[in-house]
Amino acid sequence: MSKRRTKRYWKSLQERDAGPGVLKTLADEFPEGGPRQFRRRDFLKATGFTLGVAFATGCSRAPVQRAIPLLSQPEEMVPGRALFYASTCGGCSAGCGLLAKVRDGRPIKLEGNPQHPVSRGGLCATGQANILGLYDSQRLQHPLKEGKRSSWAEVDREIQAGLASIRGDRGAVRFLSGTITSPTTRATIQEFLNGFPDARHIVYDPLSSSALLDAHEQTHGVRILPQFHFDKAEVIVSFDADFLGTWISPVGYTADYRAGRDLEAKRGSYHVQFEPRMSVTGSKADRRFAVAPGEMGLLLTHLAQRIARKTGTAVPCDEPETASSVGAAFLDELADRLWHARGRSLIVCGSNDLQQQLQSNYLNHLLGNYGSTLDVEKPSLQVQGSDKELGGLLAELQDGNVKALFVYGANPAFDLPGGDGLAGALRKVPLLVSFAQRVDETAALARYVLPEQHYLESWNDAEPVSGLVSVSQPTIHPLGDARSLVETIATWNGKPKSAYDLLREHWKADIFPRQKRESNFDAFWDRAVHDGFAEVEPLPIKSKEFNAQVARPILKAPRSETGAFALVLYPTVAMLDGRNAYNPWLHELPDPITKVTWDNYACIAPAAAQRLGVEDGDVVCLGSSGGQVFELPAYIQPGQQDQVVAVALGYGSKLSARFAKVGPQWLDALVSVGDNGVVGVNAAPLLRLSEGGLKYDGVQVKVSRTGKQRELASTQTHNTLTVPKKLTPPGSGPRQIVQETTLASFLKDPHAGVEDHEEKEDLWPTDHPYTGPRWGMVIDQNACTGCSSCVIACQVENNIPVVGRDEIRRNREMHWIRIDRYYSETESGQIEVAYEPLMCQQCENAPCETVCPVLATVHSEDGLNQQVYNRCIGTRYCANNCPYKARRFNWFNYAHDDQLQNLVLNPDVAVRSRGVMEKCTFCVQRIQEAKIEAKRRGERVSDGVVETACQQSCPARAIFFGDLNDANSHVSKMMANPRRYRVLEELNVRPAVGYLTIVRNRPQEGKEESKEEHHG
Amino acid sequence: MARPQAKPSGILRYLASPFVTLVLLTALGFSLLILAPKFNAYALPGNQLGYEPTQPVAFSHRLHAGELQVQCLYCHSGAEKSRHAGIPAANVCMNCHRFVAAPLGAIRAEDELAKKEKREPRRVVSPEIQKIYDALALNEKMQPDPAKPTAPIAWMKVHNLPDFVYFDHRPHVNAGVACQKCHGPVETMERVRQVEDLSMGWCVNCHRGVDRAGLDGNGNFTSAPAPAAQGPMSVTHRVYASIDCSTCHY
Repeated sequence: MSKRRTKRYWKSLQERDAGPGVLKTLADEFPEGGPRQFRRRDFLKATGFTLGVAFATGCSRAPVQRAIPLLSQPEEMVPGRALFYASTCGGCSAGCGLLAKVRDGRPIKLEGNPQHPVSRGGLCATGQANILGLYDSQRLQHPLKEGKRSSWAEVDREIQAGLASIRGDRGAVRFLSGTITSPTTRATIQEFLNGFPDARHIVYDPLSSSALLDAHEQTHGVRILPQFHFDKAEVIVSFDADFLGTWISPVGYTADYRAGRDLEAKRGSYHVQFEPRMSVTGSKADRRFAVAPGEMGLLLTHLAQRIARKTGTAVPCDEPETASSVGAAFLDELADRLWHARGRSLIVCGSNDLQQQLQSNYLNHLLGNYGSTLDVEKPSLQVQGSDKELGGLLAELQDGNVKALFVYGANPAFDLPGGDGLAGALRKVPLLVSFAQRVDETAALARYVLPEQHYLESWNDAEPVSGLVSVSQPTIHPLGDARSLVETIATWNGKPKSAYDLLREHWKADIFPRQKRESNFDAFWDRAVHDGFAEVEPLPIKSKEFNAQVARPILKAPRSETGAFALVLYPTVAMLDGRNAYNPWLHELPDPITKVTWDNYACIAPAAAQRLGVEDGDVVCLGSSGGQVFELPAYIQPGQQDQVVAVALGYGSKLSARFAKVGPQWLDALVSVGDNGVVGVNAAPLLRLSEGGLKYDGVQVKVSRTGKQRELASTQTHNTLTVPKKLTPPGSGPRQIVQETTLASFLKDPHAGVEDHEEKEDLWPTDHPYTGPRWGMVIDQNACTGCSSCVIACQVENNIPVVGRDEIRRNREMHWIRIDRYYSETESGQIEVAYEPLMCQQCENAPCETVCPVLATVHSEDGLNQQVYNRCIGTRYCANNCPYKARRFNWFNYAHDDQLQNLVLNPDVAVRSRGVMEKCTFCVQRIQEAKIEAKRRGERVSDGVVETACQQSCPARAIFFGDLNDANSHVSKMMANPRRYRVLEELNVRPAVGYLTIVRNRPQEGKEESKEEHHG
Repeated sequence: MARPQAKPSGILRYLASPFVTLVLLTALGFSLLILAPKFNAYALPGNQLGYEPTQPVAFSHRLHAGELQVQCLYCHSGAEKSRHAGIPAANVCMNCHRFVAAPLGAIRAEDELAKKEKREPRRVVSPEIQKIYDALALNEKMQPDPAKPTAPIAWMKVHNLPDFVYFDHRPHVNAGVACQKCHGPVETMERVRQVEDLSMGWCVNCHRGVDRAGLDGNGNFTSAPAPAAQGPMSVTHRVYASIDCSTCHY
C-alpha cells in the first residue's frame, strides 16, 4: 500500500490549528448561532401575525398586465431577443473589449469580446459589475451648481463667462484626470486647453505606475509603458506586481499568463513572486517569497549583479546588503534559470519606486527581454499618470495659483493623501468643476458638478495599446440629463456637436489615415463599430539605446524602527482605487484571498498576530509617525511577511454611505456599514507623495490592540467540504479535496497527482439514459487565478440578490458559484494556495433529489439537477444533504424596490422569493435558448454554442462546458484529460463537473515520492 | 466559535405585549370585514379562463384574421423567432391603415351623401383607426405632426402566465402547432378571450400526447419544416415535447 500524501489543505488558520474537531461545526450547512438569535417563541408569535395579515391581504385577482409595443419597431429588434453590441469596458483604463447583451433596449449583461486583442474574451469582476452603475438611481441626473440643481444652459453660460475672464487675466487653467486612453477625448481636451495662455492637462492614477514610465524615460528616452507578453515568458519574476489581480491590465495579462502555462501543449512557465502580502498573483506563483517592502530593491540588485556577471558586464564592487527573506542559493538558481531563458523571461516590478523600476529595466535589458517579452515599439497606453506633475499641481493648489481646475475621472479628495489640507486647497480654486457620475468627495467640493454619462450610454473610443483603437458605443437611451465630456468641451469651445460626430471627425482625421486595409472611411468605421475595435499603425516611438548608467544599485534597505510594522497599501480586485464603492455586488464579492466581504481590514501575519495577541476581528490601532491613527479590524493572513501590515485602499468612500440599510431589514438586522457610516476605512491618508511618486509602502506604523471587536463577514469557513470517516480508504488518510502535482511529475505522467477512485456499482444503472445531450463542465484549477470574475458574472446572469454584511455573517450569502480557497504548506514552510471554484455539481446520483418531499429538485433528461422554484416549499432537506454545499436558501424576499436597478435583472431568469431553495443550474436559460434556436434552424446544438456565464467571462479560460455525450466536444476531451479528477468522488454521487489538477512548477516534495511510484 | 447570545431586542418585547396583540387582531378582523363583500370578484390566482378584457382599440380579430384572412404571423411575427409572439408595433398597422382609414361601407355612404349634397366627399376616418394615427401623432395628411405627442397603445395582455413560467413560442410555431391549439378560434372572436386555462396540467397533457402519438395524434412524428430553415434541414428531427421541469421553469 502506498503512503498517501500527508499534505493538508485548510481554509482558515483556525481549521489548521484546531484539527478535525472544528470541522464538525464548520460542516453544518446552517450552523446555529450567529451574531444574534431570534428566539423560537418570538418567531412563532411573529409567524402568527404574519399569517393573519397575509391571509387578509393575499387574495387578489391576478394583476392586470399591459403589453405596450413600440410605435415604430426597428428592423433588427424583436421583443424577447437579445442583441449584442461590441463596446469597450470603461471600468478602468485597461480598455478590455466587451459585448453588451441588450434585451428590449436595455443592456442586461456584459460579456467579454472574444475577438478583442486586449482581453480575448475575458472580463474581470469589476467590468462585469459595471452594469449596475448604469442603473444606479443615485447617479447624477442633472448638473449641480453649489450643490443645487441647475441646468446645462446655466452652467455652460457661467463656466464660459468664468473661463473668459481667466483667459483675460492669463490665469492658470488645469485639467486633472485619471489615465484617458481615448484619443478623441485627449485631443478634445488639448484643443480646449490650447485656448488658454497657461493651461495644462495633468494625468495621475490613484493606483500609480508612474515610476515604471519614468524609468523607461530614463532608460529608453521615451516615457512609455511597454507591452508585457507573459505568454512568451518562460521565467516570470515579479517583484510585488499583482498582474493577475489589479495591476494595469489584469484580464489581458491573465490570458497571456494562461497561454504560457498551457499544459495541453506541455508548456509551463516558471513564476517567482516576491511580495510582502499575499496577492492573487502570489497565490499562483510556483515559488513565492514573503519579502518586506524595504528588501525588494536589494533583491533586484542581487539578481541584477548575478546576471551582469554572467553577461560579463562590469559589476560595481559594492555588494548590497543581504536580504534576509531569500537565500543566496535560491538567487543563484533563479539567476541561472533566467540566464538560461534569456530573451524568454520577464521581470516585472509593481513598486512605484523609480530606483527599483530602473533595476527592473536593467535586468530585462541584461536578459535581452526588450523586443521579445517587452514590446516598446507598440507600447501600452493603459497607464499614463505622472506623479511628478501631480506633485507640481498640488504645490500650485497649495499656493492658490490655480484659477480653474477641471477634474474628470478622478477623485483626488478621496484617493490622494493630504486630507483636509488638500480639500481646503481645492476649495480655494475659484472655478472648480467636477465631471462625475456621482457626488463623490471631490464633487462635493466643486462649484459645478457636471454629470458624466455612463460608458454604456455614450459614444467614445479607447486606444489601450498603441495601434489598437477600440470603440465604445451607446447601448441604451441616456438615463437622466447627463452629457459626455467631449460634448461639453465642444460646447465650451463654441462648436457644439454630438459625441458621435466628434468621434467620427477625429477618426476620419487621425485614425483612418493610420491604416491601409480600408480605403473608404465609412466602411472602416462600420467595421470598427461592428468588431468593437480596429487595428491601425502604432504611433511612432523614438526610443534611444538602452541607458544602463541610470540604473544604480540599491545597496541598503531603509532602516525600520524597532517594533514598527511596514505598512503596505494595496488595491483589491473589487474596489480598486475606490471607484466601485457605490457597487453592492463588489462589496459583497468575497476577496479572492481573504474571503472577507463588506470591509477593509489590517492584514497581519500569523506570527506577528501571536506576538501582539491579536485574533481575527480584534480592532487594532495603526499609528503612523505622522500622528495619523486608524482603527481597523485585524485579519490574520497566512503567507504575509512578518513585519508587514497590509490595508486595502478604496474603502471608506462617501459613496458607500448608501449601504447602511442594504439587505433584508428584519427585526434582528444589523447595519452593513461601520461606525463611520460608510463601508470600511479610507487608507489613502497613509499614502505618501514623496520624491515625485506616490508610495504605497514604506510608512512605519505601530500596531496596538484597542480591546474592541468587529467580527469580519468572511466566507472562508462557510460551506466547508468534509469526507465522512467511513468513506476513507482503509490504511490511508482521506482523499484530498484538492489534487495537485508538480510539473516534472506531470511531464512524466500526466495522470500524476490524481488519486484514483474505484467506480462503484450503480444502484440504478439505467435510470438516466441521456439519449440527447448530457451537460457537463470541467474546471482547470491550474488555470484558475481566483479572480472572481465568474462570481459576479453568475450574479448578473442569474439575478442573485445582495444580502448585506449581517446576513453573510450568518452564513447566508447567495452566490451560486463560490471559489474555495485552500492553503497548504510545503516542507519549507511556503504557503501555497489552491482555488477550487465550486457550484452545483449536477450529480447523477444526486443526494438532494432523493430527499425532496415535493419533487422540487429532480433530474432532467440532459443531466441537470433541476430546481423548480414554484414547487419548492423550503424544507431545506436538499441543502442538508448536499455534500458540496452548493445550495442557497432564500431566507427573505430580498429587496427589489429600486425600480431603476431592477432594469438590470435578467428577464430569462425568475426572481426567487422567500422560502425557496436555489442553486446553479448550468445557466439553463442559455441551454434552453440554444436548444430552441438550434431546433428552429433544424440543427443540432453545436459545441461551444452554450456558454455558461461563468465560463464566458473567465479571463483564464479555466471553465469548459458542453455536451458530454458528444465525444468530439471540447468538454468531453477535457473530461478525458488524464489530469481530471472529481471532488468528493468517493461519495459516488457522480458529479457532472470534473476538475483538472494543479501542476506546480517546483521540485517534488520528499513525501510524495512513494505516491509517484504508485502511479508511475 | 461561541457567539454572544443577546436578549430579545426592545421591538420583540414590545410586539409580545397584549396591547399590540389586541390592535393587530382588531385590524385583521376589520380587513376581513372590508374584503368579504368583494370576495366574489377574486378568482383563483393564475387561472383566468374566460378572461376577455376590453382593449384600448376595438380591434377585431374576426375581421382581420377571419374575414380578411391576414396571417397570424403577419402581425405577431415574433412567434417564430422569439420567445414572445409580440403585439405589432403601430407601424405594422400602418402598412395597411395608411390607405384604409374606415370601413368601405362608411366611405361609400359618405360618397353618396356628398353627391346628394353636391360637395367634395370628406375624408372618413373610423374613430378606432384614428387611435392609431393619434398614437403616431399623424396629421390629416398622414405626416408626423411634431406638435402632438406620440403615445404607444397600451394593450391589455390576455394570455398571462405566472412569472416563473418561461413559455417560448418558437418551438411550438416552428414544429407546426397551430396558433388555435392554445389560443382558440381567434379568427372568430371580435375581442380575444382566453379559451384554455393555461394551467400546467394542460401544458403537460399536450406534451405527453405529442410524445405518444405525434403532433396530429396519428403517430406522425416528423415536424413541419421549420419556416426559418433555409434549404433542406440538416437534421430531420422528431417532434419531441420535453416534460422536464426546466423546459419551462428556470
